Parts: sequence; structure tokens; C-alpha cells
Amino acid sequence: MEAIKAEIVVVGAGPGGYVAAFYAADKGKKVVLVDRDKRLGGVCLNAGCIPSKALLHATGMIREAEASQARGISFGAPKIQLDKLRAWKDSVLDKLGQGLSGLSQKRGVQVLQGRGHFEDSQNLRVETSEGQKFVHFEKAIIAVGSRPAMPAAFDLGNPRVMTSTEALELEEIPRNLLVVGGGYIGMELGTVYATLGSSVAMVEALSSTLVGIDSDLVRPVMRFAEKAFKEIRLNTKVVKMATSGKQIKVTLAVDGKQIEESYDRVLVSVGRAPNCKDLGLENTKVTLDDKGFVQVNAQRQTADPNIYAIGDVAGGALLAHKASKEAKIAVEAIAGEASSFDGVVIPAVVFTDPEVAWCGLTEVEAKEKGIKVEVARFPWAASGRALTLDRTDGLTKLIIEPETERLLGVGIVGHGAGELIGEGVLAVQMGATARDIAESVHPHPTLSETLMECAEAFYGTSPHTAPRKKS
Amino acid sequence: MDIRVPRLAEGVESATVANILVAEGATIERDQVVLELETEKAVGPIPSPGAGKVAKIHVKSGDQVQVGQVLISVTVEGAADQAKKEEPARASVKSSAIAAAQAAAPVRENAAAPGADAHRYESRSGFPPPAAPSVRKIAQELGIDLTRVKGSERGGRIALQDLKAYIAALQEAAAAPAPSRETPPPAAKGVDFSKWGPVEKKRMSALRRTVAQRMVESWTTIPHITQMDEADITNLLALMKKYGPRFEKKGTHLTFTPLAMKAAAAALKKYPIFNSSFDEATGEIIYKRYYHLGVAVDTDAGLIVPVVRDVDQKTIFSLSLELNTLVERTRQRKVSLEELQGGTFSISNQGGIGGGHFTPIVNKPEVAVLGLGRAALKPLVKDKKTETRMMLPLALSYDHRVIDGANAVRFVRELIQALENFSENELKEWRG
Repeated sequence: MEAIKAEIVVVGAGPGGYVAAFYAADKGKKVVLVDRDKRLGGVCLNAGCIPSKALLHATGMIREAEASQARGISFGAPKIQLDKLRAWKDSVLDKLGQGLSGLSQKRGVQVLQGRGHFEDSQNLRVETSEGQKFVHFEKAIIAVGSRPAMPAAFDLGNPRVMTSTEALELEEIPRNLLVVGGGYIGMELGTVYATLGSSVAMVEALSSTLVGIDSDLVRPVMRFAEKAFKEIRLNTKVVKMATSGKQIKVTLAVDGKQIEESYDRVLVSVGRAPNCKDLGLENTKVTLDDKGFVQVNAQRQTADPNIYAIGDVAGGALLAHKASKEAKIAVEAIAGEASSFDGVVIPAVVFTDPEVAWCGLTEVEAKEKGIKVEVARFPWAASGRALTLDRTDGLTKLIIEPETERLLGVGIVGHGAGELIGEGVLAVQMGATARDIAESVHPHPTLSETLMECAEAFYGTSPHTAPRKKS
Repeated sequence: MDIRVPRLAEGVESATVANILVAEGATIERDQVVLELETEKAVGPIPSPGAGKVAKIHVKSGDQVQVGQVLISVTVEGAADQAKKEEPARASVKSSAIAAAQAAAPVRENAAAPGADAHRYESRSGFPPPAAPSVRKIAQELGIDLTRVKGSERGGRIALQDLKAYIAALQEAAAAPAPSRETPPPAAKGVDFSKWGPVEKKRMSALRRTVAQRMVESWTTIPHITQMDEADITNLLALMKKYGPRFEKKGTHLTFTPLAMKAAAAALKKYPIFNSSFDEATGEIIYKRYYHLGVAVDTDAGLIVPVVRDVDQKTIFSLSLELNTLVERTRQRKVSLEELQGGTFSISNQGGIGGGHFTPIVNKPEVAVLGLGRAALKPLVKDKKTETRMMLPLALSYDHRVIDGANAVRFVRELIQALENFSENELKEWRG
């Protein structure tokens, strides 16, 4: 069989893969894009960012309506039509998926549906529904992403034990749900199910949830979760799970004691693992690190000069926008342009209630690395806009290099923090100083003012906080 | 679309147009090689970044060109309107910076550039210097290290203006008279040799000119001494005979040079001064902790010295494999500039052609070079008995500014010991 010839083959069509394929095609390369799913978009579109945000938005309305009662507007009890909610969510995914297919076609990117397997450093075998196809490539970009980790002890083959993928399918609203793992996925999906009416319990093996995020940013989320969830058990491990009729019997270890509880469903959200298996990487020179992620350099080139890797599979922050940025860097490097991931600022957002968002240096990281910083904080209780939204559960803070007053990082918790962090990214990436932010006029009354006021607070001149002497 | 002289290699400022492979009006494909540039010791093909028609060729064969200079203008067919729309906005910033960077950008940044070189960004937080992503990108493209650029904006942020000022300062430094380099000694001019018989005139190739320039520089700045001796390689030749066929089976020739390289690397480790460089500007001796050996290769165009890296860490087998392809690529003039740089010591093996002792010239900025002649059977008196042994002529030239004669004798003795007692085990390692 004649092999398909490609200048660049991209394996995996998530937010890393399709961006790489499109950008390479825009640069005039002949590109083949391979994905095992019919709908392009990867985890982000099919079982991650997009469906979870659709559900968080839709269910957030329930909480908004509840809170509204205290402001004199009541709607009565919400009526949930699960089929309709699911259909609406799926329609969003379809729309975006069709959009991607159309965009591939318009660029002349050839899409192959099937599993890709490297035969060597220049040939990829693709197992399609019409049999094997072969792609002879000059360069390959691996963008196969990651999948929810499922420890073998929890893998009962029982659909009542879910990962995020199944939880987003929204098969039913379980009467009670155990969320194993208090990371951002557990927090987000726990919020969705709790709002839909499930009694949610969360267990976390470590001493806090949302580990790694500055504690002052996590606090408002915890205050919400403590109310919305039935309970949050820290320092607690799941020892065993077993099917017990229509329930899952879970054995928990806490303080050296073991307790048994039963839940209608369990969501396992204990991290994500790279999809490196069955790719034929052993037939190439690609090397993996001790956690199984592909090792890459600043250009995202692997140890095999013909092969690049981007996104989750290359490790680092497992975020869609990080994958998309790496896609551009890898394509530019292949095109012989100067490009590097060094110095790129990657923001992160947790879509809890309220949202948490940050970029650049965090306080936790500064402490770990021994970097001397000054931190300016602006609590939202002092923001007029936050009060009118009845959402004063927020905080904006700037992490500042003392000698130069340069912004090294921005952290925000509060309603719409995910949207606000964009300004923070621009400021940090541009090398802005606190003075730059303080002197840029922000519209009133908006939450974006909190950034400006925070910078002013650094100089002790915020009109809405108590005067502070700059040390 | 303009095809410009790309950034060639670290420290390479200019090149000579060797061949122009297209004519004005010709239609060219993307990636088609349109001309060849000769730089230092290699010929590099310049491909077209896009398809189109050659509108104008700005250079001719033999021209000296600088990095960033426009070589050929190409009209992009069909995309002309789009190009017009896009170009001014994007190009104005970039091309003015590139124009300013002509010749300047790739100047060795550690060369004395007053004003430009004084600055060094240091962040207590360990963050890169503050600059907009657009400025960062331009710096990347021009190969400029932003930590050397002084930012004029708040918090030391580097603006495009700062980058331009830095490039201008580099340019000034580059334009300042470089002593000894640009002033060749007055040549015997005007003699009409045809008065006495028929003659043929041939232009010196860029490579030949480079070789000439380097030889003059080395010969006039380095006080050369050559230490000569002989090594008994009878046993080593027997080992080669034994292992030659095994190397053939594994797909490569076993020649003498890799063995000499291995012996030299061992001697260099013992006497690190021979693996050093002398910085005339600072008066420092720089000891290198790596052993990259240059190997003189005789090509049709002249002498080229490609470099084999980390000789001490490689097996004879992998050195043989590497050297054989490197020599072949050098003869075909396909080696990259990077492969010609970074040597710490050189070997010139004339044994293949013949020859006895000779006085090799040190390959500056290295401080020593080993010349090997052809081994021959000679009578050797040992324990008052005369034997015939295969004796290899060795000649070590060195820079007497940093190395003394006694050290040279020690080094050569060490080398002879290494060759005479060569460990057979080294020939048994197939790790490649």
C-alpha cells in the first residue's frame, strides 16, 4: 500500500494537536492529523474543559436563584430535566466539533480517524476502520494527551465508579456521591453534582484540598464547599472499594481506623496519566521521564530529532492553553524559526464557586524557591462592584519583585476570576510594574478595578482601603 | 519576499557568494536551493523560504555578504496582494531591526563592545529580563541575549528602542578597526610573470583565502616549537590487523587515526595545558574540560579540520564510525559550520600519503597540534640487541607562550607510552 506522505503528522487532535495541525497548514506545510475519535477536540472538547464548564454554568443558575431570595426575588424550587440538560451540553460539543472539522477541511489538513502507532522515526501506522494506513512523515508532533488516572484497586468495572469522563456524561443524579481526590477536577464536578441535588462527600489523602494553590485563594472556595458538600474529609485514604448491590462499599482509613460506607456512585479524581502506551514509541528514540511523560527541550523536540511532543503528554501543567502554545512553538521550530517555551507565562483557572485563577509566580512557589517578593492584596469586600453582585467572597493579589516593582505573578479568587486573569497574564508577560497597573485607568464599577486598586494598595494609595505604609 | 543571509553560526559574520543557481525571471519552488554561500570552511546551500519568481538578484558570485543582507528578491505569485497588506505592518518593526542588525547581531557578543557590553541583567527572582513578547521574539530571531540589553522603561523593561540601541552599539564595536585582521601584508604586486612564459591565473577560492588568513594569523602570533620523536607501533599494528576484519564485519574500517585520537585524549587529560586556549585580551589561560579533537582532512578545495566531540568518552568503534562518515562528508563539503568549531586539539595524519617528520602549524585558538607521518621499519637497539620495528614519526607543535619544552617532552613521551602499550580491551568495545 502506498504510504501517505506528510511534511508533518500530528497524532492527537486536542487543543495541542489541532492547533499544531492548523498552524502548520497555515505555514504551507502538508499536514496529516490523526485522532482515534471521530469528533476532533480531544479531552478538552469531549470530556474536559468544555462539557464541565457547560454544566457548571447551567447549574450555577440554581445557586444564583437561591441566593436571589435574600435579595427579594424568588423563583421557587428548580425543576431539573436531566435529558434536556445533557442534550444541551452535547449540542455545544457537537457545534464545536463540527467547527473543527470544517476548519481542517478549509486548510486542507487530511484527517485520519484511528489509533496511531510509530513504526520508526519516519513512519506512522494508523489503524482505521477501513484497515491500516501508513503515513511517511518528515516530522511528527505527538499530542495524545492524558487520561484520568484510575488506580487498579478502584477499577471494579462497575459504571458506578466514575472518572471525570463518565461523570460528565451525566447519566443520573446519584442520591449520594463520594468524590475521591480534592484537586480541581473533584472540586468542579463535586460542585456540579452537589448543586443538582446529590449529597456529596469528598475525601482527600493530603491535609488540604486544591494543593499547591495559595491558601488565601483557596479559603473562599472551601467556605463554599463546606456548605455545599455534606462533608470534606482530609488526611483520609480510600483503602478498598467493592460492589455491593446497587451501591459501592468504600473502606476509608482515617487516623489509623478503618470505616466502611456505601455510596450510590463514586467519582475518582486522583490525577491524570499520560497516554504514552501503545504508541510505538519504543520504535523511535523518544525518551520518557520517571512519571511516564515524554521528555522534550525548550522547542518541544524529543530525544528523537524528527519527533516533537506537546501538551499533557509532554508533562508540566496539564492545561489546554499550554498545549496550544506548545503547538505553536513546535511548529515554528520545525519551520526553522527561533522559538522557545522559556519565559512563557501560563495561567491556570479552577472553575469552582468562586473561581480561582492565577498566573506567573505564586506565593507558595516564591516560598519554595526562596524568592523574595512583596504581596499586595485587595479584598473584594472593598469593591463596589463585588457588593452590587452580592459576591464579596473574593480577593485580588499581586506578587511583586521588591527592587523593580515588576509583577511576577497575579492571583485572584472570586466571581469571574477566570476572565479577570487575562489582564494579569498580559501584565506579567509584558514585564509590567505595579506602577503600570496603578496608572492604567480601569472602568468603574467593574471587578477589573480590583487589579488597579491592588497595585495602588502596594503604594499605599488605594482610595478604598486603609492607608498602608510601603515598607 | 526577500531571501537574506541567514544567521550562519556562532561568531560567523560574513560569507562569500559561491554559486548562484537561479536567474532573474526564473520560477522557483519553496525550499529550492537558490544559491550557495561559502563561509569559513564549508559551503552552505540557501533554500528559498517560499515559491515565486526571482525578481532581482542583488549579489554576484564572489561577493562578500553580511548576515541579514538581501541576496535575492522574489515575487510571490498570487499572494502578492496579501503580502502587500501584511508586510508593512509586520516588516517595519522587524526589517528595520534586521537592517540594523546586519553584521552586528552575530558578532561574538563577548567581544569588547563598549557601552553595549557593560550591562548584564541579574534578577534576584531568577526571572528573564522584562520585555514584551514581541520584543522577545525579535531578539530570539536575531540571536540576541536580552540579559545584555539595558532596558530603559519602568522596572528595567526592554523596549524595541533599547534593542535597536544595543544593536547599534554592537555595530559600532564591529566596525572599529580590528587590529591585524583586516590588514594583510603588502603582496608582491605588479610582477608580470607572462614576460617569461605562458601562465594561467586562477582566483583563490574563499576557502583557500580563509586557510591563508588563518595560517598567517597563527604563524605570526604564535611562537611555534615542534617536538619530534618516534613511537614503536609494531604491537599496535598487530592489534589492528587482528581487529580490522571484526570492524569490517560491523560495518566500518579500522584506521590508525582513531587510535591516535584516543591516545592523544588520554595524554591531554594528564597534561591539561595542551587542551587549553590563551586569551590574549585578558591574559587568561582557559582550560577546557572536554576533549574535542580536530582532524585535518585533505579535500580537493584545500585543508578542512572537522571536529570530533568528546573523544575521551567514545569507543574506538564509535570513533571509527563517526570519523569515516565525517571525513567523507568533509570531502563532499557537506559538513556544517558547527562541526568545524569547538576543537581543543588537532591531529594531522599524513601517514596515508607518506611523509616523515614535519612541522604542523597550531590551529588557533588551540595551543598544540600533533603531526603523524608514515610508520616505517627501522632498526631499534634494545638491551644491546638490534631489532627491526615499525616506527611512527611524531611531531608536536605547540604555542611556546603557554607551554614549555619540558612539558612538550613529557606529553610526547606519554603519547608514545599510550601507543606502545595500547590496551587491547579498547578494541573490544562495540558500544556505539
